[in-house]
This record gives sequence, structure tokens and C-alpha cells, in this order.
Amino acid sequence: MLDITISRGTTVALSKAEFDLLLADLRENGYQTVGPRVQDESIVYADIQTLADLPRGVQTEQEAGHFRLMRGASNNYFDFIPAADSWKKFLFPPRVDLLTVRKGKGWEYVETETATPRYALVGVRGCELAAIEIQDKIFIRPDFYDPTYRLRREGLFIIAVNCLHPAGTCFCTSMGTGPKVQGSYDLCLTELDDVFLVEIGSELGRSLLSKRKYDLPSAFVQNIANQRLARAVQEMGRSLDTRDLPGLLTEPENLEAARWDEVAKRCLSCGNCTQVCPTCFCWDATDSVNLSATQASRTRVWDSCFNPAYSYVFGGNTRPTIRARYRQWLTHKFGAWKEQFGTLGCTGCGRCITWCPAKIDHVAEIAALREEVNS
Amino acid sequence: MTSLLPQSAPPTAGHPGKLIQPDWAEIVRITPETEGISTFWLRFIDPQVRERYHFQPGQFNMLYLPGYGESAISMSSDPEDEERLVAHTIRFVGTVTKNIGRLKVGDVIGVRGPFGTSWPMKQIEGRDLVLACGGIGLPPLRPAIYHIIRNREKYGKVTLLYGARTPKDLMYPDEHEEWQRHDIHMEISVDRGDENWDGRVGVVPMWFYNFRIDPRNTAVLTCGPEIMIRFVIYEGLARRIPAERIFVSLERNMKCGQGSCGHCQIGPYFICKDGPVFPFSVLQRYVNVEEY
Amino acid sequence: MANPEVLAELKKIPWFGTLSPEHLEKLAGITTLRPVKAGETLFKEGDRQDYVYIVLEGRVALEIFVPHRGKVRIYTCEQHDVFGWSSVTPLVRQRTAGATAVLNSRVACMDAEKLRQICDEDRDLGYLVMRRLANVVASRLMVTRLQLIDMFANPEEKNA
Ligand SMILES: Cc1cc2nc3c(=O)[nH]c(=O)nc-3n(C[C@H](O)[C@H](O)[C@H](O)COP(=O)(O)OP(=O)(O)OC[C@H]3O[C@@H](n4cnc5c(N)ncnc54)[C@H](O)[C@@H]3O)c2cc1C
Ligand code: SF4
Ligand code: SF4
Ligand code: FES
Repeated sequence: MLDITISRGTTVALSKAEFDLLLADLRENGYQTVGPRVQDESIVYADIQTLADLPRGVQTEQEAGHFRLMRGASNNYFDFIPAADSWKKFLFPPRVDLLTVRKGKGWEYVETETATPRYALVGVRGCELAAIEIQDKIFIRPDFYDPTYRLRREGLFIIAVNCLHPAGTCFCTSMGTGPKVQGSYDLCLTELDDVFLVEIGSELGRSLLSKRKYDLPSAFVQNIANQRLARAVQEMGRSLDTRDLPGLLTEPENLEAARWDEVAKRCLSCGNCTQVCPTCFCWDATDSVNLSATQASRTRVWDSCFNPAYSYVFGGNTRPTIRARYRQWLTHKFGAWKEQFGTLGCTGCGRCITWCPAKIDHVAEIAALREEVNS
Repeated sequence: MTSLLPQSAPPTAGHPGKLIQPDWAEIVRITPETEGISTFWLRFIDPQVRERYHFQPGQFNMLYLPGYGESAISMSSDPEDEERLVAHTIRFVGTVTKNIGRLKVGDVIGVRGPFGTSWPMKQIEGRDLVLACGGIGLPPLRPAIYHIIRNREKYGKVTLLYGARTPKDLMYPDEHEEWQRHDIHMEISVDRGDENWDGRVGVVPMWFYNFRIDPRNTAVLTCGPEIMIRFVIYEGLARRIPAERIFVSLERNMKCGQGSCGHCQIGPYFICKDGPVFPFSVLQRYVNVEEY
Repeated sequence: MANPEVLAELKKIPWFGTLSPEHLEKLAGITTLRPVKAGETLFKEGDRQDYVYIVLEGRVALEIFVPHRGKVRIYTCEQHDVFGWSSVTPLVRQRTAGATAVLNSRVACMDAEKLRQICDEDRDLGYLVMRRLANVVASRLMVTRLQLIDMFANPEEKNA
């Protein structure tokens, strides 16, 4: 090992073999290492042991309503752009058992042991890290916190990765979240053909890395990384003008624009966009009972503002039409969210566009709305 | 986000370390009010909860019936009830509420709360008050009425405008006399009268009718069906009462009560924590946006 | 000369207070006062339209008889409410609802025929009267719409 003092902000070059050892160290320290894997012609986040589990040499082709895995030009591990799956499921699981009660004299709680998993997320993109930081503001607040989220979040180890090959639906540059990672991580990778450049983001990251063999990167190598990052900015698939946000989507007269009627004709109200979105946080609590009705449970599940039951009140629905629901979704993400949480609710990951079966491009929708209201 | 009304203290019933785990309360009394509506008087089983639980007029609890789910229900009793009972006047409409309707005295129910903003009783001291409500909108105002009665000298002229569908839908009839004795002027009206009804037929809650108000010193508190609320607002504004002094209580689908599940949003507001009581001035932008 | 008692009563009604003394005098001249006991009927559906009424005190209900349901009370007129206004612009030349005092009341009765005459002769006064009546009709229409919405109904019943 070289005698270099490393600290927060230091970048080192780490071979891919050494990275595997780092993953092993993480597991040794009690972390469950999760990262991208190819599954069902798509990419999911699941348990990984070594880099060999990752989608090697895979790139993705993404357009509105379109996703394909392709053979990439290199043999790198992070050349793809994530698919429908996001890290959200690890912190805000799609199903959580909330409570079980048993009928006694009144009702009593049945205590269930649930160990909180400690995750090391491997390969978190700039937009994805931004999404986690947005959800932090929702689930961990001074006046309220969600225990499931908070415990999982506090134990999280984040290995971020800079994106070098944005997809057609990406627009993180517009949202200021990528392709270079912006948020707080433990370690951040830039992948070159034979090494990772690893930037240290935390004390925990430094101490893990200090046990591995690394080099100081040469100026040449750093230069290549910088060039690739600059090229990624140029290759960004889409761009969204955010200068008039959130106002464009919150002005009452814009809420009555004809564009909403137009998009409502195409939207299926399927809720895919909300399910794939890494910042969407809505949930529902469902109830179940055992056969003898002596025990009852409540389970938290993801919900969607596109679900008719979401806005149901006795005697009617406050958003009875697809127009109203689509408008709620878009104006929340790119409008009201700002007033609620101090940031827009979108990080530019592009999932909602890629995974919309009706090929609705929300970036284009915002542009169309702008054109209508400004003309 | 900066708060619009004095924010309520954190809930004292329910467990902060669990997402939506209620405390238990026993039903000690059930008062049938009208067809399909009863008042349930609850006492927390845990004496500590009983001790620390306080609510402000206009706030609500999430009531949990195991196996069926939770419902947001306003408190309808006196916040300073001597027996420390908490009452909810509930209309039986769906899964949860209809099954609450089948409960008996001695049965146990889960309670989380109190949640949300309250009627600004402090802020409106010294003012003339118009309380305009209809249907199931009276129960959330009843704690405010008790508060006014207890502090009668702190408020000016108080008028309660109350509308119901038919005479038999009027709630708390036994108390009306008592309220009037405390110089609360009541105007009651029904949508459909019969020959035995010698009160008003029409839409009183929306019309500050033939009584004079001093717009510079009047505050309006209104609760009821959203259409009714809109017309109360139109009338209030027409009478030149400033929007900041018209307070409305809104209803939306609710699951958590703590600004987390997303269900209750209207524009930038979570009705469960930024409301349910809002000064109309903050909602003015949205009131005529349909299906928002 | 109008009856001074009638004049005094009309002056108490805010709208009449805005009229010029001559106009007020003219209207008072065609008006009589009438006490009605609770339960007493002022007119029935189908009657000839002869008067426009103003409630001075008490409460008068407008009712329509519906087979199988009896008398349905559609609206109550409170102090200073105008009713029987359709006699001024007779669309249907008979009463379309009945009016019964609910409480002991006093009403001012304006001769509808003479009122039309006065308004025709003095178009200025005619304009003011018609404008007032338009307001009455508009507010009655608003009330009817809100009742039509049946906003306090249990939605379940309404759908049934
Ligand atoms: C702040 C607030 C205060 C309320 N105060 C009272 C009160 O004092 N008395 C009273 O009788 N009712 C009150 N309600 C309405 C009450 O919450 C609903 O009638 C109740 O939730 C219906 O649930 P359900 O399971 O019986 O009906 P279902 O129709 O089976 O409900 C289905 C779902 O829709 C939701 N839902 C349905 N109607 C409403 C509604 N109007 N508001 C919110 N969520 C709804 C339920 O939570 C449930 O998730 C209040 C609502 C709110 C938001
Ligand atoms: S709104 Fe669309 S692009 Fe933005 S974060 Fe959500 S899924 Fe990604
Ligand atoms: S925008 Fe697309 S993904 Fe979203 S609900 Fe509509 S059809 Fe489904
Ligand atoms: S009820 Fe869950 S956010 Fe308001």
C-alpha cells in the first residue's frame, strides 16, 4: 500500500479486483450489499456479492415508452442507465407490516420482531442520490418521522457512481442532480476501463477504503474521467427549462389550460409513473383479519395519486377524472413540492417517461403547457 | 414551510416510534343523535394518555377499528370536559364508520391524535363571530361553542347559523336552549320542512340574512359540505369580511394525519397538518379550480 | 295621502329607506297592513294574484301541495322578505304556491294591479321596483338551486 494520507474529498484509483474486496469488507461489517443485476431483460436492484453480479458491458436504450438492454462498446459495469427499479424500495419498502393486534379484553398488540437491515447501496446515480435526499425531507422531519425509513436510512452506506452514458430520457443536468453526483455519499465512483476513481465522501468511506490497495490517480487518468463526464453532459437525452418553475404549474389559471384535457386523452391513469419514480412517497394502509376475526393487521403499501381510491371521499371523489389526477401528479412534482419541501420533486431520472405505456413525455408536456399559457 | 396558523402540539395519543399505532380507548357512552349519526364518548384506557391528551376545538383524531381501518373524525366535545372524556359525533357511511356504528358501550377502539390546526379561538377574541355550518359540520364546531360559552366575555356578538336537510336531522337539539342562554344567537334552517316545522326553510348558513354585521370586526368560522362552505365564503366576502378572517375546515381522504401518506393534499397544503382549519386567504387561489 | 301608519312601517324596511319621499308616498298609498295568525292562510295555490306581500314581522311559509306527500314547505319568508312577487309580472295568472303564516305575523299587502299601473306611469319608480324584484327573484333562485343540490343529504340516499 502506498503511503498516502487519504481524507474526505481525496480521489484514489482502485482496481476492480480491490473493489470486490471492499464489497466483502462491507458484508463483513454487517452490510447487505445491494446493486444492479440483469433480470427479465431489465435491470433490478438486488443482492450482489461481487462485480460479476453486475450488468457488465450492458448499455440501455431508453425513450418514451421504450427500454432495451444493448451490448455496450466496453466491458464496464456501470455503462447502463437504471431501469424501473429504484433504491426507494430499500428505504420505503412497497409493503411493510405496521401492526398486529389480538382480541383480548380489548385489543392488545402482538409484538413482532423486525430486524432493520443495513444496506450498502452499490452504484447510486446522481439523480438517485438526490431522490433519497428528497425523500429524507418527507420521512424525517422535526415534527414527524417514519420509523421504518429512518432506521434504514441511518444505517445506509452509499457507493455512488457518476454517469458517463446518459439515456435518451435523462434530464438530470436540467434538475441540477447529475450526471456528476452532487449529494452526500460515502464513496463515489467514476468507472474507467481498468480502474475506478473513488472519491471519499465520509469518514466511514475513508476507513473502509484505507484497508484496500489503491493508487493516486495520474493526471492523465483524471483527465479522461473529466472528459467523459463533460461528454455525458453533452449527451443528455432531454432538457427541461426550469426557470419558470414552480409558478408555471401552480398558477391557478394554468391549472385550467387546455393541455390538461389533451394529455388526459392519452394518459391511462395506470400509475406506472408514480411507481417507478424514486421520489413519489404516497402510501396507503390496508387491513386484514384472520379467519376467526380475533387478530387484525395493518400493512403499509405504496399508493398512487392515479388510483381512484386515493382521492375518494364519501359520496364522491375529489379528483374524479384522469385530467385531475394527471394534473395533480405533474403539478405536485414540478410545482407544489417546492413550497412543501423546499425543492422540486423531480431529479430528472427519466423513469416516468421511459416506463409510461402511453409514451407520455412529461418534459414535453411541461413545454407544451408553457407554450399554451404564454401564447 | 412556514405555518399559517398556530401549529398544534405533537399528538399525545399514538406512538411516535411506530408509524400509525394508536392508543386504546373505551366507549363509555353512546348518544344517538339523528338517523345514522351517534356520538361516542371515549375514555383512554392508559391513565397517562388520559392525563396528557388535550385537544383544541377543530382538531381531529384518527379512530382505528381493527380489521376495518382508520377514519379521521373531529372531536365534538368540550376540550375541558371534567370527566376527561373525548367525544366524536360520527355519521355511519362506509366500512369503518358503519362498523363503529355497531359498537357498544364497553367496546374498545384505537385513537391517534389530536391532529391538525384548530379554530383560532385566541386570535378571534374581541370579535363578533359568525359560525356557519350545515349537516355534519356542526360537531367540529361544538368544542368552539363550549369554549365561547366558557369565555363568553371575550367575544362580541356570536351568531350560529345552522342548516340541516330536514327538522329531524338537526343535531344536539337539547343543547340549543343552553347555547342561546349564553347569548349565542341561533338561526336554524332546514332544506325541506313539513307542516309541523315552524322554523326556517331555506339556506340560512349561506345567508347572513337580515342581521347586521360589522365587517371590520367580524370573523367567520365555517364547516360543512364544500359547496356550502363556498357560498358562505361568497357571502362573507360580499359583506366585506376580509379573507384572512374567514376560517374554513376542509375534508379530504386521509390515511396518516401527519403529512406523510400524501392523500390529503390540496395545492401545497397537507390538510391533515396545515389544516383542516385554514384562513380562506391561503385557499383563495384554489377555490374555483375544479377537481383540484 | 298615504296612511301614516303604513308609511312608518315601510320606512323601517331598508330598501324603502332609499326611495325618494314621493316614491315612498306612492307605494304606501296602495299598501295595507294585515295581521295574520299562525296557521292562517294568505293565499292558496291556484288563487287569483292580487297582492305582493312584505313580511313586517313573523314568518310566512310558501308551500306546494304534492300528492302522497302533502304540503311541502319550500321556503319561509322572514322579516322584510318579499313574497307573491309573481303577481307583478304575471307569467301564470294564478298563484303557483300557497302562503301560510307559521308564526303570528304582520304583512304589508301591495295591490299588484295598482303597482303595475304606478310603475307604468312613473318609469323611474318602475325601474327601482323592478330592480328590487329582480333581486328578490335572483336570491330565491339561488336558494332553490342550493336546495336542489341537496347538499346536506347523505349521498347514499341521494343515489338511491
Ligand atoms: C379532518 C376531518 C374531520 C372529519 N370529521 C368527521 C366527523 O366529525 N364526523 C364524521 O362523521 N365524519 C368526519 N369526517 C369524515 C370521515 O373521515 C369519513 O366519513 C370516514 O373516513 C369514512 O370512512 P369509512 O371507512 O366509513 O367510509 P368508506 O367510504 O368505506 O371509506 C373509504 C376510504 O375513503 C376515506 N374517506 C371516505 N370519506 C371520507 C371523508 N369524507 N373524509 C376523509 N376521508 C374519507 C376513508 O378514510 C377510507 O380510506 C372527517 C374527515 C376529515 C378529513
Ligand atoms: S418525476 Fe420522473 S424524471 Fe423526475 S424523479 Fe420522478 S421518475 Fe424521475
Ligand atoms: S402518465 Fe403514463 S405512466 Fe403515468 S399514469 Fe398516465 S399512462 Fe400511466
Ligand atoms: S393524511 Fe396523510 S398526508 Fe395528510
